[in-house]
Amino acid sequence: MAPPIYSALIISLGLGTTMTFASTHWYLAWMGIEINTLAIIPLMAQNHIPRAIEATTKYFFVQATASATLLFAGISNAFLTGQWDITYTPYTLTSTLITLALAMKIGLAPLHSWMPEVMQGLNLLTGLILSTWQKLAPLYLIYQIQPNNPNIFIALGLLSIIVGGWGGFNQVQLRKILAYSSIAHLGWMILILSFSPPLALLTIIIYILMTFSLFSSFMLTRTTHINSLSTTWAKIPILTVSTPLILLSLGGLPPLTGFMPKWMILQELTKQSLCPLATMAALSSLFSLYFYLRLSYAMTLTMPPNNPAGTLPWRLNPRHNTLPLALTTTSTICLLPMTPAIMSLMPF
Amino acid sequence: MSLPNISRVSASGLLRSSCDLRWLLRSVAPLAAPRRALTHMGYRRPGQPREDRPPWWRVKFDLAKGLKGMKRHFKLLKEEFFAPFVGPMGKPIIEHMLEQNQVLWEFRGPHSLQEWTISCDREIGGKSEIYLKVGRNNESCLLYGTLCSDPPKDGETRYSGYCTMRSKQPLASFDRKKYHDWSSFNTLHLRVRGDGRPWMINIVPETYYTHQKDDMYSYFLYTRGGPYWQDVKIPFSKFFLAHRGRIQDDQHPVWLDKINSIGFTLGDKADGPFQLEIDFIGVCKDYAHTEDFAYEKYKRNPEV
Repeated sequence: MAPPIYSALIISLGLGTTMTFASTHWYLAWMGIEINTLAIIPLMAQNHIPRAIEATTKYFFVQATASATLLFAGISNAFLTGQWDITYTPYTLTSTLITLALAMKIGLAPLHSWMPEVMQGLNLLTGLILSTWQKLAPLYLIYQIQPNNPNIFIALGLLSIIVGGWGGFNQVQLRKILAYSSIAHLGWMILILSFSPPLALLTIIIYILMTFSLFSSFMLTRTTHINSLSTTWAKIPILTVSTPLILLSLGGLPPLTGFMPKWMILQELTKQSLCPLATMAALSSLFSLYFYLRLSYAMTLTMPPNNPAGTLPWRLNPRHNTLPLALTTTSTICLLPMTPAIMSLMPF
Repeated sequence: MSLPNISRVSASGLLRSSCDLRWLLRSVAPLAAPRRALTHMGYRRPGQPREDRPPWWRVKFDLAKGLKGMKRHFKLLKEEFFAPFVGPMGKPIIEHMLEQNQVLWEFRGPHSLQEWTISCDREIGGKSEIYLKVGRNNESCLLYGTLCSDPPKDGETRYSGYCTMRSKQPLASFDRKKYHDWSSFNTLHLRVRGDGRPWMINIVPETYYTHQKDDMYSYFLYTRGGPYWQDVKIPFSKFFLAHRGRIQDDQHPVWLDKINSIGFTLGDKADGPFQLEIDFIGVCKDYAHTEDFAYEKYKRNPEV
């Protein structure tokens, strides 16, 4: 893609999200989300291969449907309440419709079916943008609407954790695994949103750090299938050490950073006397942990069935910038001891 | 021939007779057109028998067959439900990761022919013939017949002369489409014994748009005519994209995670008998083959 066009699309992506962040009017928020969607469409379709075009089309249909529903809900809210303020959604119907539209936008269960197929058709960089940046604007709106009844958030969250774990159980394609991982992590975030919005913010920030580092690792090693993970040790040995730690961090194991949001969420749910919910969420995340462990096992504890020394491709690219990967990997692995400091910074 | 009288009906009359649409339709139906079957969609080739039976006459209702079918589908559903507990695609993960070869079709008896379908230009009015049977000692399958390039005399077909054998679409429970996932492998491995003719191997992946339904990825299979078996290994990077037999400018490698079928086609315009014996068809992972795609990707609008 020509650099000016690429730059314009990236700037539009940033503009759309920023516009939504800065808005208090439903129209402006919706416009920001639409700009986001339309800016990423050419980025997804820049490889003119059938699977990428299929992923782009599916993504467009889903996002357009969700945007239309969101706009309809916003207009209905304005009609019923007389004002366009995002934070004022007293009617259950409109707030539920808005929640479902935004859930569809970010791929929460049961509106998640599009996500694995779309991710599978994209390259890893576009998949990274889809998993991280594209979630911010809808999550901000969900954060703002504050529905009266948190049950819908609990239902969406728990279902997403279960579906995200169960769906990735049988996958061998890394991009689909990452899609299901995204669904599960967003489930954790939505679960706690109505009880403690700052914790939800913490969850999404840590999720973005972990996902960025994992995607970057896979981009460096050019792996998209679980089988090709076993040859990573011959390509970039240090990644064979760090990537399993990133995966275990995503699984929420202490003493890695990923344990922090899960720990805090379970603590908050317990304080809210929702122990059964906390138990179910913790048990459901074991499914996700299983496939993260499987990826770690494939990467570090298996040898490919032949001698790879003379036959494997060396894909080292000295010009590749590894600084973001280094920073995010360090954050993914080592931030747990800083939990008290981070909690004190959170605006509770 | 006089046109039928179309009576004018007042609005109130239309409202009264709105339940009886047959009256309305009868007045506008053409007289000279022959009555066509309700389900006869599209063009009927000259010489093909007219299908005038309604669909419920063509279905054989059989309770025993229905119960047997339901039992089969529920058995498949149960297998699909419990397969993830074993591992991806029903195999343990370690087996999935360590396997370098997988035999997909091994012709060892009449039951192995049920997964294949054969076709030739006889469907379009040509004169070729094709048959598929089990080989000697149930050790292979034999595809044989006669190729004839004479086009059918229907005034519109200009070319003819093809014979093909294609695998059927794999189906999950309740006839849902299932796909072959060959993403762990990079080479197609066949053991064949031909007659020296050049065949074409076609891989048909799952597509999304309607205009892509005739997309296939093809490569050539040159057979030796001798009595010895031939091991053919073709990397998937060699397969090129064709649409309805026409090679496309915009090429890209085949995506192996959703394959619908594989087929063999003969269309070398050499009239006469042919035969191809196949022992097995499999896929393998050749670690020495690191090529992503064999062809230069043609840029239709190159940057200046």
